[in-house]
Amino acid sequence: MSLKIAITSEANNGKRISIAGSLDSNTAPDLQKSIDSEINDSISTTIIDFKDLDFLSSAGLRVIFKAKKRMDNNDGKFLLVNLQPQIKKVFEIIKALDGMNVFKNQDEMDEYLTDMQNKVKDGE
Amino acid sequence: MNQANKILIRNTTEDGAKLSAFLQSQLSAIKVPDETYNDLRLAIEETFINIISYAYTNNEEDTIFFELTTNNNQIRITFTDAGIAFNPLTDCDKNIDEDDKCEGGMGIHLIKSLTDAQEYKRIEQRNVFTLTKNYT
Repeated sequence: MSLKIAITSEANNGKRISIAGSLDSNTAPDLQKSIDSEINDSISTTIIDFKDLDFLSSAGLRVIFKAKKRMDNNDGKFLLVNLQPQIKKVFEIIKALDGMNVFKNQDEMDEYLTDMQNKVKDGE
Repeated sequence: MNQANKILIRNTTEDGAKLSAFLQSQLSAIKVPDETYNDLRLAIEETFINIISYAYTNNEEDTIFFELTTNNNQIRITFTDAGIAFNPLTDCDKNIDEDDKCEGGMGIHLIKSLTDAQEYKRIEQRNVFTLTKNYT
């Protein structure tokens, strides 16, 4: 039950962290390390892509919540996308969906981000 | 059909993978719905991590006995360990100041939500913890 982590850059100082496999007590430290090294104060948006993640435990949730807190503290955005049903269920059980930006798929997230961009432009 | 199968695992996080693999092989034989399998996999992981985190002090090595019984659309899972008296559903809170693994019992909440019944007994210096899940 391993975890693959891929980090890619997104527009406007964003980072996408794509996780695949299992995020549990064994693999959560690896994700924490990646987040610590990649997500610094200059990152405006952090996206966690769950497309290929099929298992998430409380250890993994703790890492995710820490990352959200970091982004919140920096007035950044924290987005979750492509959650499989059993993964979404875990968030639902601990009532963690409120206050999280969760998107069913890439299109939904793109729409949101475009919206945000336009709002910023309009505000200038 | 009533079937009981068991394995022994070490009280280390690495053996969590062994548990998952065992669960998968047992449940695939009886065609359990995906959601049931996923729920159990998580409940077992959370239980296992709680046991190895709190039933053992001083890094002692031990083996945990894990048994799975299937009977008439019900799956029963029992963890038996020889650690200190520890109930995965309640005693994690005692350590809440020492580390953040407990964190208000996120794991406990998951275990309770994902299974239909949970039972803890202390029998002859052993913790015996049983999870029950019904499926259709």
